[in-house]
Amino acid sequence: MQFPIPAKPPVGIVFDSAMGRIDDVLALAMLHGFDGKDQARIAAVCVSRADLQAAQFCDALGRFYASATSGPAAMFMRFAPIGLADGKPAAASVMFSKAAYANAVKNINDTADPATLIRNELMAQYDQNAAVVLSGPATDLAKLLDMQGVKEWIARKVRLLCVADNGLQADAAAAEKVFAEWPTPIVTAGREIGEALPFPGDSIEKDFAYENAHPVAGAYRAFKPMPYDAPSWAMAAMLYAVHPNDGYFKLSGTGHHRELIVDPEQKDRIIRTYIEMASAKPVPRKPRHPVDEKKDEKKDEKKVEAGK
Amino acid sequence: MITKKSLPRRTFLRGMGTAVALPFLDAMVPALASATTTKPPVRMAFVYVPNGIIMNGWNPEYEGTLGELPRILKPLEQYSQDITLFGNLTHNTGRALLDGAGDHGRCCASYLTGVQPRKTVIDIKAGVSFDQIVANQVGKATRFPSLELGMEDARQAGDCDSGYSCAYTNNLAWKSETQPLPPVLDPRALFERLFGNGLALTPAARARENLYRRSILDFVSDDTRKLETGLGPTDRRKLDEYLSSIREIERQIEKAEKDNTQIDPHMEKPYGVPADFAEHFKLMSDMMTVAFQSDLTRVITFLVTHEGTSRPYREIDIPDGHHPLTHHRNQPDLIEKVTQINSYHVRQFAAWIAKLRTIREGDGSLLDNCMIVYGAGLSDGNRHLHEDLPTLIAGRGGSHFKSGRRIVYRKETPMCNLYLAMMDRMGVHVEHFGDSTGRLDALDLT
Repeated sequence: MQFPIPAKPPVGIVFDSAMGRIDDVLALAMLHGFDGKDQARIAAVCVSRADLQAAQFCDALGRFYASATSGPAAMFMRFAPIGLADGKPAAASVMFSKAAYANAVKNINDTADPATLIRNELMAQYDQNAAVVLSGPATDLAKLLDMQGVKEWIARKVRLLCVADNGLQADAAAAEKVFAEWPTPIVTAGREIGEALPFPGDSIEKDFAYENAHPVAGAYRAFKPMPYDAPSWAMAAMLYAVHPNDGYFKLSGTGHHRELIVDPEQKDRIIRTYIEMASAKPVPRKPRHPVDEKKDEKKDEKKVEAGK
Repeated sequence: MITKKSLPRRTFLRGMGTAVALPFLDAMVPALASATTTKPPVRMAFVYVPNGIIMNGWNPEYEGTLGELPRILKPLEQYSQDITLFGNLTHNTGRALLDGAGDHGRCCASYLTGVQPRKTVIDIKAGVSFDQIVANQVGKATRFPSLELGMEDARQAGDCDSGYSCAYTNNLAWKSETQPLPPVLDPRALFERLFGNGLALTPAARARENLYRRSILDFVSDDTRKLETGLGPTDRRKLDEYLSSIREIERQIEKAEKDNTQIDPHMEKPYGVPADFAEHFKLMSDMMTVAFQSDLTRVITFLVTHEGTSRPYREIDIPDGHHPLTHHRNQPDLIEKVTQINSYHVRQFAAWIAKLRTIREGDGSLLDNCMIVYGAGLSDGNRHLHEDLPTLIAGRGGSHFKSGRRIVYRKETPMCNLYLAMMDRMGVHVEHFGDSTGRLDALDLT
């Protein structure tokens, strides 16, 4: 099927996280919300711990949000693989151990090497129209930087790296490498940000109730005994990556590496956005490329004629 | 008495503008030579089929040792111990990557080059294909560094796919980033290239020659007789089988030429191209066999039909064009027809593999010393997917590969990782190629 070149889309987000805290799940749900409202596009989702259940959950969440789409758009919808760190299997998170949502990940070969996946997906982004959100160890991004020619691709395609500072210490060497070599500006959501902007637990029972078995609500309930509010490091990083110029946060200092600062006046607005995006309902997606079946058929007919 | 004297590997039978290379004979092995110095060379070939494959009929539902094969691969089932089937190999550079329509042009141009071709019909640009990197090194030892073959449409100009030059859809091998190597389509032209003195005959000269209906073997009969007197019984039998296969190729070409003249004396089709797809494939594969057997080359690319082709398959009662059928929109009757075309292609390929298995070379077969890749630049032709590309290797690459298995790699694993692994086995060591991220592992016997 041949497609015309699409217009420049909203920012493409690479989300690389440990999927070890509920904050990561909520940030991924937010990303799907932004995607559904055409404020961002999901470029790649990677899990930086070797937790197959986490990858299954990420894949299932993608399929949950795609479930409202039907017709030609569904036929041509491409489910990009989930990136998953290899190595010794990590302890499965309690968030996913009981999850049984439909997904296509049976074993590690149904996932991709995170660095390769991120490289491939970045190549498909418009220049300066991608952002990377990191929550957890920087292992995948450090490997990405070691790949042949990739630093140039990052500099060309990525406008910003947003780091949630809640797991970098798990691979200090990788963090050091990324902060030293990453070729774009870096913004960090520090520890105080996540704690100052908690995601309200009562939203789970209200805003996610439209679906009996909502994967995000299920993970939230499994993570800790309810009720509880969740710190939001990854959500803050995600929000800033998608809307850096919309006044949600202030930035410290100047230069290559800056930190997010909470503006007390924006706190309610930020939490409202968290809730709105994380609990957004699946919406029917239009084909990224309009399907013009008749044009394609005519072209083939011409070729057949020419071949006679 | 044992001596170190042996027949040179590069011995030719010569006569009247003809040079017939010889297969690997026992007489070429010095009596006191070590096993390593007499090991037959490793050869590689690529057989490319267009427009993707119906993957349900290609991918088995299991990994590991090959057993029952899905419908499209069924013709290869009896040779499964010689096959390695790969899962999840991807060509990211075949994807749009912001260049919009043109997956057929892109997937063919990136298939062996590993780069995204420039979208243009004029100032074409891709990259040096990996077969040519190999040919540049191992080709010094053979008469032809590489051979580029095909069966359909070698146009090099014009727009063949949404702004992509026909040079992208009609070539596999690229000598430089701006110079593709067009495939030879005509069996007669290939035959003359393999056994001639390098001068192409004009149609008039060829017609004159045909009047005498003489075989090239007649021209080299003196050399043949001389050679035979010094050979043992095994080598004499090998030589006889080899020369018989050349004679059979000649007969097939003559038959095709005769048939074509009867169909339409004024047809512009090349002289020796059989009208029947299977006959054409057999002729080309027979000549590839001879080229490998006699070490005329160690590198071949074979573009069966070109990417995006709308060729009908009346030979198997499918009058519809191949490409339109692949956009089946999940209609079962159309999927069935594409499956039949895919199976038909594999059937021809399996016949070639069967032949390569029967030719003894060293301690094994000619196939053992080959890596014949059969594959496509798209997996799902309906959706134009560039991941999980249908890919298999027939042969053991010089007894390196542990064949008879299906190996599934992680998603997005670059196809170029396979190429690096193949280059190693051809004795060509390169650190990086295309978008490779390393060498494909788990291939070897150990």
